[in-house]
Amino acid sequence: MSKLLLIIQREYLSLVARKSFIITTLLMPVLMVVCMLVPFWISDVNDNSGARTTVTVIDETGHLTDVIKANSQYEVIPLRGTPGKTDPRKFFKEGPSNVDALVVIPADVLNHPQVNVYSEKAVSASLTSYVTKCLNDTLSHVKLLQHGIPNLDKIVAESQVDVNVNNVKLAADGSQSSSSTDVAMLLGMILALVTYMFVIMYGAMIMNSVVEEKTNRIVEVIVSSCKPFQLMLGKIVGVGLVGLTQFAIWFVILSVIMGFMPHMISGPDAAAMAAASRGADVASLPAMAQVMTTLHSLPLGLIIGCFVIYFIGGYLLYASLFAGFGSAVDQASDTSQFSVPIIVIMIIALYVSLGCMENPNGSMAMWCSLIPFTSPIVMMVRLPFDVPLWQLALSIVLLFATAAAMVWLSGRIYRTGILLYGKKHSFKEILKWVK
Amino acid sequence: MDFIEVQDVVKRYDGHVALDHVSVNVPQGCIYGLLGPNGAGKTSLIRIINMITRPDSGQVLLGGKPIAPADVARIGYLPEERGLYKKMKVGDEIVYLARLKGLDKATATGRMNAWLERLGLSEWRSKKVEALSKGMQQKVQFIATVIHEPQLLIFDEPFSGFDPVNTEQIKHEILRLQQEGATILFSTHNMESVEEICQRITLINRSRVVLEGDVAAIKQQHKKNIFEINLADQAPLPLNRDLYDIVNLQLGTTQLRLKPGVTIHDTVAWLNDHCQLAGFHELLPSMNEIFIETVKNMNS
Repeated sequence: MSKLLLIIQREYLSLVARKSFIITTLLMPVLMVVCMLVPFWISDVNDNSGARTTVTVIDETGHLTDVIKANSQYEVIPLRGTPGKTDPRKFFKEGPSNVDALVVIPADVLNHPQVNVYSEKAVSASLTSYVTKCLNDTLSHVKLLQHGIPNLDKIVAESQVDVNVNNVKLAADGSQSSSSTDVAMLLGMILALVTYMFVIMYGAMIMNSVVEEKTNRIVEVIVSSCKPFQLMLGKIVGVGLVGLTQFAIWFVILSVIMGFMPHMISGPDAAAMAAASRGADVASLPAMAQVMTTLHSLPLGLIIGCFVIYFIGGYLLYASLFAGFGSAVDQASDTSQFSVPIIVIMIIALYVSLGCMENPNGSMAMWCSLIPFTSPIVMMVRLPFDVPLWQLALSIVLLFATAAAMVWLSGRIYRTGILLYGKKHSFKEILKWVK
Repeated sequence: MDFIEVQDVVKRYDGHVALDHVSVNVPQGCIYGLLGPNGAGKTSLIRIINMITRPDSGQVLLGGKPIAPADVARIGYLPEERGLYKKMKVGDEIVYLARLKGLDKATATGRMNAWLERLGLSEWRSKKVEALSKGMQQKVQFIATVIHEPQLLIFDEPFSGFDPVNTEQIKHEILRLQQEGATILFSTHNMESVEEICQRITLINRSRVVLEGDVAAIKQQHKKNIFEINLADQAPLPLNRDLYDIVNLQLGTTQLRLKPGVTIHDTVAWLNDHCQLAGFHELLPSMNEIFIETVKNMNS
């Protein structure tokens, strides 16, 4: 087996066998799913706690008593009140003991639409929104009736327009597809963030590994068996493969969980849950379908392909920088001198990509997606918006040429750096090693 | 035949000269000492022989041919600063380092088992290196250095960190390797071990070779005509300013330096007449003294 393969194998196996790797790899997707599911479960628990919340409504107007209706969640006790005479404190002290909340509808609610909900314990947000919804519907209706125009509510309903702006993209070949900018932007942003996080995480891992080898002096033994460049490259590739493995495992776990997700949600409690999440989720179901159609309308194959290519290029570029500068340091605690500038470049790239979301084909976006240090992140945001092919090609060529140059350059730094101990080195000195 | 020939090697680092036209010839099968104070250039020279760095000028021949990258498989190197992957298992680590030197997995595993057995580390095979004591880690490193049966072994301070028992064991192994045909280059400050096992030495000081040759011959060259005399009784040694000066006087034992031109024969004859002579032998300087003297003379 060639030495490079041997080194890659060792790096890979030693990292994959670590407890921390196994734990993060397995727990991360579970954590992500838990974060997504917890809101559902919480509302589920609320709905099924059995006890309905008892709400007393004191209506001072005299004609809105049955506005707030009882449902599966709320039991309503309607009462009539005298305008201005309601004393919530007294009510809770002397009234029935099982009342959780008191809604007071003031006499002049039509002119001053302000309703108070009193309670001794904190009131859930869903009660507030339920009360609001009930009152809004009825009060608008009542107000419309006051105008005395027959069928006014129907007229108003008909005149309400909810414009749905749909982006239709006309391709050169005459076909047309509708795309939702939001979904495309979101997808781009997710890809950019993933690239950013991955490169920083694994770049730092490489830097630590280089420093560790230098600190425990194994490096001198290794470079008496192979070229320093082989050691560095083996490390970069090995760690990169660990990252891809982690990625693949996350992908598989998440897709399996996602596959089961509908079952989890549409279980026997589906009705209750739909009621609990009230409106918002019901409305989001068609939206979800819309997201799926938009996703399908995007050139997903191209996007994923490019993502992988940029990912590899960007990783090589930054990982070699981390390795090169890591070799100039004796102790892990001294790495920040060099890692901070690298991370700053990446943060700039991330901010540029945020800015480019608004205008993915502007000149800022174009230039930054050509510059190799920012392109792996910025191009992710542009990918869903039909990047001209020549720009894509040029950007990839530039990225890989620069990555190759950086690997070479870092190799030069590395072979000197790993054998020097004791002194802190400046950027200037390090550049001398390249010669 | 010389197995290693270092020919007129120059190495500069950022303004200072680490090796200034250094030449060293190590005969085949020899245990060769590379001596010198800290910072003299020993490690620089070793790194060049190891092909970790290149000389600015000059060359290194191994077995008569200029050294080439493939030769790393023929060299075993134990650096002064020991290092192992702490998180790896002992057996895996040795096999990995052996395979980096070009052994196949099966051979590496077989030899690893044999060596662990020989040095009494078998039960530690599947323990992590960090669980081992420092001495045991040194042994693991020693195995990793010799496992590919290199023709040239370079040991930089091989005995540091070993207790006397383990030092003896490792010394024994080194001598065995020499008998099996390996050429051994030793870099050390430990002059006792040099006298014990090195046949030839090179002393490097301030980037230059200042002393080179056979250990016994060097000692002869540096002898100072000093003799140690033991008297049978506790009587003081009679003085004779024509024959000798007394260097060191102790009860029953005296060291004296013969005057120039005075022979041993004359001195012994005279002493026999004047006191109860029980023993008389020449004191050769220790390598330690030669080392210190040479370096001091050069630096002053």
